[in-house]
This record gives sequence, structure tokens and C-alpha cells, in this order.
Amino acid sequence: MTIDCRGEELILDKERAIYWPSKRVLIISDIHIGKSAHFRKHGIPVPSTLGQKDLSRITKLLDSYPTDLLLITGDMFHNKMNSDVEDFKAWRQEHPELKVALIKGNHDDLKASDYAGLDIEIHEKEMLMFPFRFIHDKPQTTDAYFNITGHIHPGITIYGKARQQLRLPCFYFSDTCAVLPAFSAFTGLSNIKPGKGDVFYAITPTQVVAV
Amino acid sequence: MSTDSNSLSKSYGYKTVLKWLKQSKKKPFAFQTEAWQYYAEGYSGMVNAPTGFGKTFSMFLAVVIEELNIINDLKTTTTTTSKKRTGSGLKLLWITPLRSLAKDLARAMREVCDELELDWIIGVRNGDTSQTDKLKQKKQMPEVLIITPESMHLLLAQKGTISNFSNLRCIVADEWHELIGSKRGVLAELAISRIRGLLLEKHPERLLRIWGISATIGNMEEALDVLVPYEEVLKVTVKADIEKKIDIRSVLPDHIDMLPWAGHLGHKLAHKLLPIIHKSKTTLIFTNTRGQAELWYQNLLKLDENLAGLIAIHHGSIDHELRNWIEDAIHTGALKAVISTSSLDLGVDFKPVDTVVQVGSPKGVARFLQRAGRSGHSPYETSTIYFLPTHALELVEASAIKEAAKTHDIESRQPVVMAFDTLIQYLVTLAVGDGFDDKLIYKEIKETFAYRELLDSEWAWIMQFITSGGDSLAAYNEFNKVELVDGLWKVISRQIAMRHRLHIGTIVSDAMLKVKYLTGGYIGMLEESFIAKIKPGNSFALAGRVLEFIMVKDMTVLVRKSKLKTAITPSWLGGRLPLSANLGVILRRKYNEALENNKADEELSFIFPLFERQAKVSHVPKDDEFLIELIDTKDGHHLFAYPFEGRLVHEVLAALIAYRIGRLKPISFSIAMNDYGFELLSEQPIPIDETNMKELFSPENLSEDIVASINATEMARRKFRDIACISGLVFQGYPGKYVANKHLQSSSSLFFNVFSDYDKHNLLLRQAYDEAFYQQIEEPRLAAALQRIQQSKIIMIRTNRYTPLCFPIKVDSLRENMSTEELSQRIERMTAETEKKSRRKNDHRL
Repeated sequence: MTIDCRGEELILDKERAIYWPSKRVLIISDIHIGKSAHFRKHGIPVPSTLGQKDLSRITKLLDSYPTDLLLITGDMFHNKMNSDVEDFKAWRQEHPELKVALIKGNHDDLKASDYAGLDIEIHEKEMLMFPFRFIHDKPQTTDAYFNITGHIHPGITIYGKARQQLRLPCFYFSDTCAVLPAFSAFTGLSNIKPGKGDVFYAITPTQVVAV
Repeated sequence: MSTDSNSLSKSYGYKTVLKWLKQSKKKPFAFQTEAWQYYAEGYSGMVNAPTGFGKTFSMFLAVVIEELNIINDLKTTTTTTSKKRTGSGLKLLWITPLRSLAKDLARAMREVCDELELDWIIGVRNGDTSQTDKLKQKKQMPEVLIITPESMHLLLAQKGTISNFSNLRCIVADEWHELIGSKRGVLAELAISRIRGLLLEKHPERLLRIWGISATIGNMEEALDVLVPYEEVLKVTVKADIEKKIDIRSVLPDHIDMLPWAGHLGHKLAHKLLPIIHKSKTTLIFTNTRGQAELWYQNLLKLDENLAGLIAIHHGSIDHELRNWIEDAIHTGALKAVISTSSLDLGVDFKPVDTVVQVGSPKGVARFLQRAGRSGHSPYETSTIYFLPTHALELVEASAIKEAAKTHDIESRQPVVMAFDTLIQYLVTLAVGDGFDDKLIYKEIKETFAYRELLDSEWAWIMQFITSGGDSLAAYNEFNKVELVDGLWKVISRQIAMRHRLHIGTIVSDAMLKVKYLTGGYIGMLEESFIAKIKPGNSFALAGRVLEFIMVKDMTVLVRKSKLKTAITPSWLGGRLPLSANLGVILRRKYNEALENNKADEELSFIFPLFERQAKVSHVPKDDEFLIELIDTKDGHHLFAYPFEGRLVHEVLAALIAYRIGRLKPISFSIAMNDYGFELLSEQPIPIDETNMKELFSPENLSEDIVASINATEMARRKFRDIACISGLVFQGYPGKYVANKHLQSSSSLFFNVFSDYDKHNLLLRQAYDEAFYQQIEEPRLAAALQRIQQSKIIMIRTNRYTPLCFPIKVDSLRENMSTEELSQRIERMTAETEKKSRRKNDHRL
């Protein structure tokens, strides 16, 4: 689905990504690489194919959209270096020409040398590309920049007639801020209470729909 | 040493006990001496006796007699003068399902020991046991330990377990009927199998006897087989030949019109309760849910202010100190009435209680009789119970229960089998303790009732699950849980061990928060989801108090007393039992008589006008008929059907029929049900008529269709919630003991998705479906119902007005969705209804 945001064209993809065609930037958030391995390390069996599937989804997105910069608005790595991160390293080596930038989130606490080793450009707080500010969590104050964030893993419940309901991940746009859905399949949803003028784009298995 | 039948009654211990009983002018009941005899002969078994007839003594005194005899033998054979201890340490392990029982049991047992001059220590071990007591027990086990199934597993999770049990002679599972139908029963089975295994290994010459004590259930023989599955053991059932007299009376309004058609509170009849409370010493008022109990407390106070200070409220979410205080107050007779949920179903006998009231349907015969038995406990005293209907149709249940009580038609309790989650937890428990030998434990587990069908391949999977973290295809080298050390499987990580100990047990609750006054003092617990919905400054009712919500701090809800008289009542999840199959059958038969207006049947005669109305606008189904009502209203097109098979079966049946109709044409339903029937509601006309009706309700391809339909309704996902917690995938902090670990936060539903997508052969996933299938769906009961419907005469009524029968379903409903439309199609249609959406949203807020 293509939308207009502050005069820029943005494509919302059902694989939980935003593509910004004029700048050839692909934006995703909350990949939580290493989460499944972290769980395994603590005695909770989670299949590792999970993390590999997330990576192959990024590859597929890169195939569909000509991309110079892959931008991650936080929570790229769940916790520490582990086997999932090794998988990512291998993936990274297959895409040497791609620029990868990370705006740090609350989970991202690898060592600076680790990020360098993975060839990831780090932005401690935010990254500005007019008219957008890319940042992990929505800032308290607003300015001329429109914020594009992640962090909350937004989900929406759609209510229908005869008391039906459905819960789906979504893109959430308010007048100063857009929130990306969490990219990883191994993440939960937090329900958003809509304010006035907010727009939601729900993600169904086949498409993105405005609600 | 061994005693035959004649010598027991001549033995020193037997005579001593009999003499002691005589002093307080008591005589043993026949079933008690019978149990003592069998115990002395080395039998294991089951004592089946009603409450109030000394079932505790049937087993406790058996072990005491044995001890007295051993002491006496030692005295006569050895020359040492002093009474030498017969080997110290644990001799009797007494399993109770309820913590509250332990205190009073221990008191009763201590009295016996004191009076018989037996220097036994009676210990209690459960979640309330203090750290100092636990340490004391670790140093020196008491002779008798009263314990919950969870605490048994905690003992097994300690190092050096065997030393605790090497002198054990007998394990008693008290109130076994309460444990058998749940995973807690499986916990007991597993712990017993291990303790027995430990003993056999170290002291093969010793005889461990395993006894159960149970109220009457439909499957007594199976109950014994579950507790004592071992073939080489001598087994017997000892049944008390005593009958408890029960007087059942319905509370009726002055006129039928004063009784609502639907609802679950019954407040309209509350004023009728006041004279009953006043003329009784102490009345126990049972409700079906905690929310209902809170509302009744508020309401009774409103009706009669003189009751202030004389009534109390007791349920599972109330702080245990407060509950202890209430229980003590009942004992001393300081309270006129106590409003309670199932939290007072079992347990100690409260002498002052002479009257019991049941508000709303008790759902089953056994439960009703058990509650009735809470009054008039002394042997041969009559128990009195009043039934207070919350809506008109429940009076038919009263009539049905009266009949069932006469004919002793009591439900069975199906034992839980093949619970992989509980097995996984147990194995990790052993690994946290002394570690285990997988070959030995496999043999033990295969002997238990719960896992006798376990396959080698399943065992291999479970071992892989806890040791390598998944199926053999993926080698996860970083997986860290159970490791092989010197031939034994052990948990090495202290962090994992600690977390596991915190989560032993099979009762999974919603995240609960403690509720505390700002000035100090705990009141009880509330579900997190409820707190999330209220704002600071709002008031709610808990433990009979109206409280103003201030804030949540450190997983504690801070409140102050509110000036308001009434407030919203939290609705706690769970606790809604379905109507039992027995009661369903009797209920259907009662409908045959509904239009006879037989004056002898008080209840039926009273609601005759309602049935007359039903007959006029629709039809009153007889037990060889099956009624379907198709009602069109502005809400949409409704289909109501009435199988009388209980809420759970209706839930599945509704999903099944919705699925089958969906094959005729794509259609979405919302589903509602109660214990009598179910509703399918759609905005499109429902394509059902006399020609396809029997086909839609056909028992053919039942399993396949169920799988297809429950898949869509996510029943398995709901079951997986508990499974994920029990098997250690998801951690829920204990109330008030919040373990913060942001990197390990996840939800069961996430795991459900992940396993469904990436690990289809996961046994826990299969268990979720199996549980949904057998417990939730009760497939055999469902199949029988469909067979019955096939043979019934089908009555289809089309109307545009709600009927008396459908009304309670319409009102008292738990809803679910079922759709065969494409998801995107559905979303498109649903989003078209935007105005509806915003209205609904507001509905859901408080």
C-alpha cells in the first residue's frame, strides 16, 4: 500500500517494512535477532529456523525494492552475541554492498566492536533525514520532523458485527509519529488505543489494509 | 510381625486405641476397623466414606496402631527399659489438596498422639510453611507430614531426597476425588511413583502402602487404579455403610413473574434469604464465581444493615490471613453467614454451620451434595441445603438434583492421562534435585496410570526437549537446561534451577496482583487485566470492601477505603464449570414433565406458566425430541439449539455446526452458549432447514470436522496457555514475587504460533489439541449427543421473538467467533462497519 506522508511517498509492505522510494531506503524495526537463541540458552526450546526465516524475509524485501540503505529503528539484537547473530553475520557477508544503519533501541547492547564487525552504522539516539526523524521510541516533544519509530510492537483489534473480533499487527500513524510493526515473527503485539485522527494500517497474511 | 485378622483385634495397639476411644464414649465405625485390618495385612486401597464420619481416623489410626504394636514388641523383646524410638523419620505422608485443611488435620492428629502418649511430631508442608520450619524439617523429618502435591515435588527438587523417605510406611491421598480429575492428581501419581521407586531401590524389604480417601464418585474402581496402579500390590476398597440424610429445599418467590428469565445473580430473591440466615446458627452461602460472591455480600448488607460485622466473604482471591481469620470466626460461631465460592467446598468441618445455601446452578450432583454436607456434620445429623435459583429455568435443575440425590446418580471424575507438560516439569524437577537415570525413571513412569500408554518415541522426544532443546534435526549447541553428569541427568545452572522451583505446580493463574491498603494490610488479589482497565480514583469491590484505586507499585495495587457504598466488581476468569452429563440426562427427562403441572413436584409446578409460554411461542422439547429455534431480529439471524450437554460440549458443537454450515456457503458466526444450549448468530441468513438438519448434526466424520473447526476457534491455543507455563516455556511471576527479566518475556500464544509454524511435531502442541479434544470437547459425550439427536424427532421453530428458553443463552454468554470466509474478505466487510466499531470499543471499556 502506498501512502503520502509529509509529501513523501512511502510504501507499506505486508512483510512489516516501510520502503521510501525517493531515497531508496528500506525501514524495519524490532528484528530481535538472537532472541530465539537467547531463549534456548536459558533452557527454553525455540526453533532456530525462526531467526533464519526473518533473515530470508529481509532478503525477499531487498529483492523487491531497490535499496541502498537498510534502516533499523531499534531492537535489532535481542541481547548478546550468539548463534543467531552468527547467522546474521553470514547473511551480512552475502550483502556487502548494502548499507545497514541502526538507531539503537532498549535491547541493543552489543559491544561497539561487534557492530563494527557486522558492518553496521550506529546511531545512538536518532537519525534525521528530512522530513523524517528515525528514532526507537517516540520523543516527548514534537518539532518540524515527523517521527518514524518502533519499540511498541503495535497491534490492533478489529471489531465486526455480531461481536466478531480479529487481532492483527499494524502500522500506526498519528499526526507527529508513525510506529512500525515489529519485524520478527517471534514478537507479541501490544494493543493501541486509538486517539483522534490516528490512522492504522493492519497487516493481513495477504495485504496491508487501512482501518 | 505380620498380623492376621484375629490377632489385630487382640494386639496391644488396637486395644489401646479402642480404650482411648471408649474414654470419650466413642466406638469405631465398621469401615474404620475394616480399614485398620486391611492396612495391618499389608493392603493398599481406597476408603470411601462421607465427610463427618471420621474418615481421617480410618487411615491415621491404622498407622498409629501399627506404631504402638511395634513399640510394644520392642519393649517385650529388648531388655532396654526406656521406650526406644522405632527408627525416627517420616512414617506417614498425608497428601491433601487444600492448604487450609492441613492446619486442622494436624491439630486433630496431634491430639490423638498426645492422648496416646505417642511422641510423634506432626508436620505441615505447603506454600504457607515458613522457612524456619522447612529447615527444621530438612534436619529432622517429622513422623507425619501433611503435604500438597506441589510441595511433594518441591521435596523431590531438593538434594538428598532419599533420606527423607527411607522409613516411610504409608502414603495417604486425602480427598482423592478432588485430585483425580486434574493435573495435580498426576503430580501426586508421579511423586508417589518416585518415592516408591526410591524405597524399592534402597530398602526392597520394606512395604509401602498407598491409600486413598475419597467421597463417592461414579468411577471408584478406576480411582483406586489411578492411585495404586501396581499389579503386584494387594488392593481393596473399603466402603462406609453409612448414609448421609440430605434435605433439599428451593427458595421460591411469591410469584413466578418475580423470577427473571435470565441472569446469574439471583438478587431478586435475596430478601427470602434473610429469614433463613436469622433462624440458623451459621449459614454458608455458596456462589459459583468470585464476582458473584462479592455482589451478594454487598447486596445482603444493603438489605439488612444489622448484618454488618456478622457476615463475611471467603474466596480464593482473598488474602490468606484474612481467610484464616474468617475460618476461625466460623469455628467460634461469631459469624451469622459466610458467602463463599468453591474455596469452602472442602475442608475442615465447621461445627456451627447448620444451613447451606446454593445460589445458582451447582452444575453437578456430586458438587451439590458435597456442599450440602458442609452443614450438619455429626454422624446421622441431617444436612440442610437451600437452592436459590438465579433464573427461572434453574428450578428444573433443582428438581433434577433432588431426583439424582435420591438415586445416587453421581458423576465420574476422569483422570488426566498423557499430560506431557506435567511430565516435562517432573523430569526437570528430578534433574534439579538429585538428578535422574532416564532408564529407571522411564520404567517408573510407564507404571503410572497417567503414562502407561507413553511410547518410546514420545519419551525420546521429551528427553530431547529438556536436554537438547528440540527435535533431532536441529542441534542447538547453546541449549542449556538438563545435562548428563556422571550418568545422571541434572540441571547445573543455578538460575534455571531457581526459576524451576518457583514454578512447580500445575495451577496456572492469570497474572495476579496483590491488593494492599496505602496504610498497610493486604486485602487480596486481582487479575492484572482488570486493573489495566480501571483508572486511578475509580472504585471496585474486593473482599466485601469498596476500595478506591490509587496506583500500581511494585506489582502491588495500592488502594484506600472508598466512600462509595457500591462499586463495580472484578470478574475473575475461570471457575465456570459446565453442567455434568448426569445432570443433563436427568434434566432432559424433567422437561418431559414440564407441561404436566404435577403439583407434587414443587419446582416444576412453580415454573409451569413459563413453560406454557414457551409452548405457545415455540415448543417444550421432550427427551426424545431436539429443538431448534430460528429467530430473526435486528441483531441478525439466530439459530438456537438445545442439547442440554453443558457449556463445553455446546462450545464445540456450536463451532462444529458453524463449520459445517460454512461448507455450504461462506459465512461468519458469533457463537454463544450456556449449559442448556447454544446460539449461532450471523448477519447473513443461515442455510439450515428440515432437509439438511440431520446431516449437519451427523456424527460422521466427527473427529476430522472437529479438528477443522476447533482449529479455527483457537481452542487449542487457549489450552496451550497452561501447557506453556507448566512445561516451563513461559514464566508467570508469583503474585507479589515478580521476577523481572525483560529478555525472557514472551507469551504462550507466541510459542503456539512458533511451534505451529516451525515445529509441527512438538508434543506440547499435540497435547494442546488432545486436551481441547478430550477435556474441552469431551468427544465421547459429543458423539453420544449427536447419536441421540439423530434418533430424536427434530422440531424446528421459526419466529422473530426471543423465547423463554433462548433468553438465558442470549444474556449469559461467552462468545467466540467462527468463520469460513477469507480473512481479507472478512476484514474488508468488518471495516465497512466503522460506526459499529467505535461503539463496540466503548462497550469494552469500563
